[in-house]
Order: sequence, then structure tokens, then C-alpha cells
Amino acid sequence: MRLRRKLFANKDPYDSTKADLFLAACKENFDYLYGNCEDYRKICKGLKISSSDDIKTAADLPVIPTMMFKRHDFRSGRYFFTMTSSGTSGGHKSVIRFEFSAALAALRMSLKVTRYHGVISFRPCRYIVMGFRPTRKNKVAAARTAYLTTFLAPAISRKFILKETADGLKPDFDGIVEALKKYEKGKAPVRFMGFPSYTFFLFQLLEERGLSFKLPEGSKIMLGGGWKQFYREEADKATFYKLAKKTLGVEEENIIEFFGAVEHPILYCDCKAHHFHVPVYSNIVIRDPDTLEPMAEGNTGLVNLISPLTRATPILSVMTDDLGILHPGSSCPCGVKSPYLEIIGRVAPEDIKTCAAGAADILKGVNV
Amino acid sequence: MILFDGRIYDSSEQNRLLDELKDKIPSVLQRETLSPGIIIDAVDHLREDLLQGKFDELLESLPKEMVESYKVQAVTLLSKEHLWMKVKTELGTSEEYVTDKIEGFSSIRVKKVPIGVIFHISAGNMDFLPAYSLAEGLLTGNINILKLPSADNGLSLKLIMQFIEYRPELTDYIYVFDTSSSDIQGMRKMAELSNAISVWGSDMAIEAVRNLAPTGVKLIEWGQKLGFCYLSDPDNVEGLDKQLENLAEHIATTKQLLCSSCQVIYLDTDDMDKVRLFAESFKPYLEKAVGANLSTEIGIRARDTLTSYTQRLTGYLGQEEESDDVIRGRGMSLIIKDDNKLELSPMMCNVLIKPLPSKDLTKALYEGRYYLQTAGLICPDARRKELTELLMRAGLVRVTRAGHMSAYFPGEAHDGEYALDRYVRIVNIEEG
Repeated sequence: MRLRRKLFANKDPYDSTKADLFLAACKENFDYLYGNCEDYRKICKGLKISSSDDIKTAADLPVIPTMMFKRHDFRSGRYFFTMTSSGTSGGHKSVIRFEFSAALAALRMSLKVTRYHGVISFRPCRYIVMGFRPTRKNKVAAARTAYLTTFLAPAISRKFILKETADGLKPDFDGIVEALKKYEKGKAPVRFMGFPSYTFFLFQLLEERGLSFKLPEGSKIMLGGGWKQFYREEADKATFYKLAKKTLGVEEENIIEFFGAVEHPILYCDCKAHHFHVPVYSNIVIRDPDTLEPMAEGNTGLVNLISPLTRATPILSVMTDDLGILHPGSSCPCGVKSPYLEIIGRVAPEDIKTCAAGAADILKGVNV
Repeated sequence: MILFDGRIYDSSEQNRLLDELKDKIPSVLQRETLSPGIIIDAVDHLREDLLQGKFDELLESLPKEMVESYKVQAVTLLSKEHLWMKVKTELGTSEEYVTDKIEGFSSIRVKKVPIGVIFHISAGNMDFLPAYSLAEGLLTGNINILKLPSADNGLSLKLIMQFIEYRPELTDYIYVFDTSSSDIQGMRKMAELSNAISVWGSDMAIEAVRNLAPTGVKLIEWGQKLGFCYLSDPDNVEGLDKQLENLAEHIATTKQLLCSSCQVIYLDTDDMDKVRLFAESFKPYLEKAVGANLSTEIGIRARDTLTSYTQRLTGYLGQEEESDDVIRGRGMSLIIKDDNKLELSPMMCNVLIKPLPSKDLTKALYEGRYYLQTAGLICPDARRKELTELLMRAGLVRVTRAGHMSAYFPGEAHDGEYALDRYVRIVNIEEG
């Protein structure tokens, strides 16, 4: 995985001159998977792709829908650790494996991306994690990544909003309000990290109760884990920023959003204009919702995410159930040249209704 | 949530209410039989309110296109005239009569009366199915316990409450529970209160109900089926072009998701070259129909495409049989196979094409006898009668034009039986 090492060691996370290296690293990953993962090979053969010579662009790589990882355990060689999706799709969870060198590459990537966006700091701060404390038993990626981000600056304390109760995880808003009252008087910056939806609920709660805080300078709100479970409540971003300022005294430029998926563990971080530019470690193909053919920038389609990060699970090219648009980088004022992704929504979430014999059992696994 | 005595209760009260129901049922039976006119009136009222847009907000969770099509169907199907016709067709016009006197024997009065208590275990795979099943139970004057499907989003309960609002006399005949299918104890308790269980669903769901049903309860099973099209001697079919167009339209509109949908197109031949040739000639028809019937909602189109693609890849993993010989087009595919097994296609306009000479028809279909329902038949007029009869002997219960496989025909039976007839018993009273 020489080419992967080279790709993930690239200094500029948004270097637009590395397209050839990216494709070569993908082919390197493909060759490994083809040789070591029987299921991947079967899919390639079915799609009539028999060697990396058939791959002229990243869009030619065999695409595996993320929902397949939820119903089928792909194995390809040894691994170092696993991550599990939060399982919003009817209880099915996908298990993604990483070998040691993939973990190293991911670490390098995370450091470069976070440093680029000014998230790494040596100033100790207090963390409020809008999630739950990951445990040995709990491998949900969103919790892990939220936890990991609490190492981007030295932590004085970590407070978790979701608490384990007899009825499962429950948010402890009152505890957070108490903490905020205390932190406001101190000097250490506060960093929020976690699901945007919970953060937004917190803002609303504070506003309803007429509470507002002025958190110490340097405080940041970091968002990740997506809006998925809370689509109906999705706040438009302008309202979100306004409420952050009103209730916590945090300015828009100190709100940073991350985007990633267990099946595509590449760290996307929004730019100053709040756009998710595609980093050098990743490629995005927007596919036609009727034919799955690649579409030109500016069109809405299914989001296909590509990265040669790991080889222990064939997530080289995965199709999410998100609908999105890829915009040209030149249309963003931030200066990053690579295109940026806008998520429009998800494919229809309703179950497909059927009364054909045996159909429901088959569709159960693919209903999103 | 539970609907009991016309009031809503929390699910946690299930046990207490079922105990209460045990005492209540005999007191309801003590009264005069519920007349079908009452539920017919309630349904007709519902239809009027529906057409006037009173439920538009409730129906927002369903795709817009579906709602429009439901409204069009409701105009006729939920009308008083149609419902009275259904009662007459399914229960017979002479619902009560006296037999002719035979020397040495008494004559009897023959009468159809409600079976008693029906426990409906409805499925979530068809919109409105819970309310529909319940209405059939009410049309026959029964007391009805309804278990809602787990996926029910509250729509069924609201519609049923409307019935009660229109005609409060129905209150004592309707008991709705949102019990989970895994609550075996609760389900068994409901079964034990009943004379019959009407169950809709997959083989697995029916199997589960059989296991919990008390001996002596009448099981009324509405299982899932597989449809196919049978094409014989296409060269001599008059208007073949139009018929293939209609078949393609049927496939594209039902997306092969219904019991009656076409999963397989069988050709009356054992020559695989002819099978392939047909598949090639059918491709443009299907491709055109798929294009013309695309949902306007991008999320639905993307979901269907993704489902179809995932099915295809799953096939490559060897979890399901896979054919190498596939003709692909935009949003569709024709999968050519040389066996003649009746099986589920990957759906979403991915149709199986297989050879099946008419001499082997009963043999091939015998394997799938539990799943037989609808066959769309395309053949020369001169052979239509003979092939229809052959299909009937093989076990089919509906033989239609290829484009009408999923059409509704007023007066039709359901899976070979009249539902209302299954919900009554025949009593004989000695006349002397």
C-alpha cells in the first residue's frame, strides 16, 4: 500500500494536483481486494471488471451500496480494529474493519485536516460531547469520533450529554445547563462536539428558558454525526448560527461541521463558507438516480464516495443512500479548488410495500 | 394504542382490556345481528369525506401519485352500490331460503350468519389493508379484533375511528390493538377469544399464527402469491404489439411488487434461441414503459434504482441464483434463464424470461402450487380457451389479458374464494 501511504502523507489536504496519485492508490487497493476478498471478486466478475486495467477513472471502480454492508459481512484479510454504524436502518448495523496501516493513514489525515481548519490547539479546554461516552462494548463510530475529537486540544474535562439510564440513552439537558453556568465564569474555552440535532435542541431549550451564556473566547462548536435521524427537525443553518450566537455567544466562524460515514471514514470539514470540499484522500461521483451513470457537476443524484483508506473491508467505492450535488470548487469564495458536496436529502425512507411471495424478506435488508 | 369501546387506551392496558373483552363478547352476541347496511353507510360516508379532501393531511405520508390513484378508485369501490353488490356476489343472492320438502324428512331454513368473533392479523404491505379487512368482518356482522401491523403509522386507526364516528352502532364490534408480533402471549389471548383468525402476510407470518392458534379456531389465510405471463405462439397473435405494450406497462406500474405482478414471462417453447430473441424484442417495450412511469419524486426513483442494484450485487455474491444472460436497459433488465421454475424476480422491472412448453405446464407449476394466483395470457385467439383451461387445471385462479394482471374486476374472488363467504357460517333451522 505504498501509494496509499504517499497519498495520505500529502501535505495539503485539498491539493488538486494529485488526481493521478489518487487513481493509482485506488487501483492498488482494488488489486488487493480482488486478490484477497472473495466477495469483492464475485461482485467485480458480475460487473465484468476483471483487473485494474479496466479502471480508467475512479468512477469505473465497482460501487457497493452501503446498505449491503448492513446485511453482509465482507471479509478481506487481517484487521486491527472495527467500527460499527449507528444502525438507523431498521436495526441493521454495518461492521467496517481497518488494518493497522489504515488506522495510521486515518490519523495522518485527521491531523492534516483538523490543522488546516484550525481545530488543533494546545490551549486546554472543556469539552461538552453531545453524544455518549464510548465503551468497550459500544463500537458506534459516531460516538468514537466525537470522543476522539476531544483530544484535538488538551481536555480539562469532558461532559457527555447522553446518559445511560434504565430506558436506554437519555439526554441530560439540565446537567449541561449547570455545567454551562460554571464554565461561563472560567477562562478555559469550551468545545461542543456531537450530533447537530442535539446541539440544536439544546439551543432551543436554552432559548425557551430565556437562558443565554457568553462562553470564554476561543470556544468552538464542532458538529458531526449528521442530521439523519432528525430530518424533520433539521434546522436551516442560518437559524442554527443565529441561535449559537444568541444562547452561547459563539460566532459563526467558530462553528465547524464534520462529515463522514463509517463506510467512508474520510474526514470532511466545512470551510469558512460552510462547504464540504472533497479532500485529496477522497473522490465523489454523483450518480444518476435512474441509471447510476456518473453525472456532471451541478446535478442531483446518488452520492458515491471513493477512498483507498482501508483494505480490510471493501469500502473503496461505496454508494450511500444520500442524494447530493457536487458543486465546482471555483464557486466557493474560500479558495479551495476541489469541488464541494451538498447533501440534499436521502432516498425515500418508506419501506417498499409488496405482497409478492417472499419479496418482503428480500427487501427487508435493502430498505433504507 | 388501543381502540376499545370507541375510546383510545394506552398499549399498556392490553391485558386488562382483553380480560374485559372476554366478558363483553357474550353480551354483544346477545343482541341482534349487525346489519351490513351500517358499515356500508359508514364506508360511503368515509368516501365522501375523502373525496372532499377531509383526509388529505392524514394521507400526506403516502406518495402523492398513490393518493390520487386511491381517490379515483374510491369513487366506485367505496360506494354504497358497489358494496351492496359485493355482499350479494360474495354471500349469494338468496341469503336465506327453505329447502324443498322431501318425503320422510323435515325441510330446513338455510341461513348465513356471522361466524362470531374474527381476529384480523393484518399486514403492513398494502395501504389501508387493516381497515379493509376489518370492514369485511363488519359487513358480515362479526365482532372484530384487529391487530395492527407494526409499520402502521396511525392512518388505520384514524380511519377506523371515522367509521365509529359516522355510525356509533359499530362501537361494540371493533377492538383494535397495536400489539407487536413478538407478543405471543397477547396474540394468543386474542386468538382464544375468537372463532376465526384472518391472517394476511408472508409464509413466515402465517406459520407463526398457525403455531399460536387454538385447535378449533377457523384459520382464514391470505398468503402471498407469484404472478406470471404466459406467451404462446406470438407470431400468430393478433395485436401482439399492443399486448406487449400493455404487459410492459403493467410491469412498470406495479414494479413487480404485487401478488398479481408478473415475475416471469414464460414462452411456450423449449428453444432457448426463441426465448432470447423474444427478450431482445421485448426490451424496447419495457424500457419505454419504465421511462413513461418514472416517479416524479427523485427520492423514490433513487431508492428503487438502489434496491435493484443491491439485488443484482447480492445475486453475484451467490446468495441467490444468478443468470449470466441478462439484457439490460435504462431502469430495467430481462434475465434469461433456462429452467422453468416459478420464482420471485429481483423486482423493480427486472423480469425473468423462461421457456415453458405447454406440455410441461402443469408439471412446472405444480412445484409452485401454493403461490399460484394470476396468469396473464398472450396467445392466438383460437388457443385462448384451451390454454386458459390448462392454466386453471394447473392451479391458477385468475387468467387475464397480460396488461390486466393486477386489475380489479368487480365480482372477483380473492385467491379463489369470496372473503365474505369465509367470514360466515351456514345455519340450518328445522321447519317441520
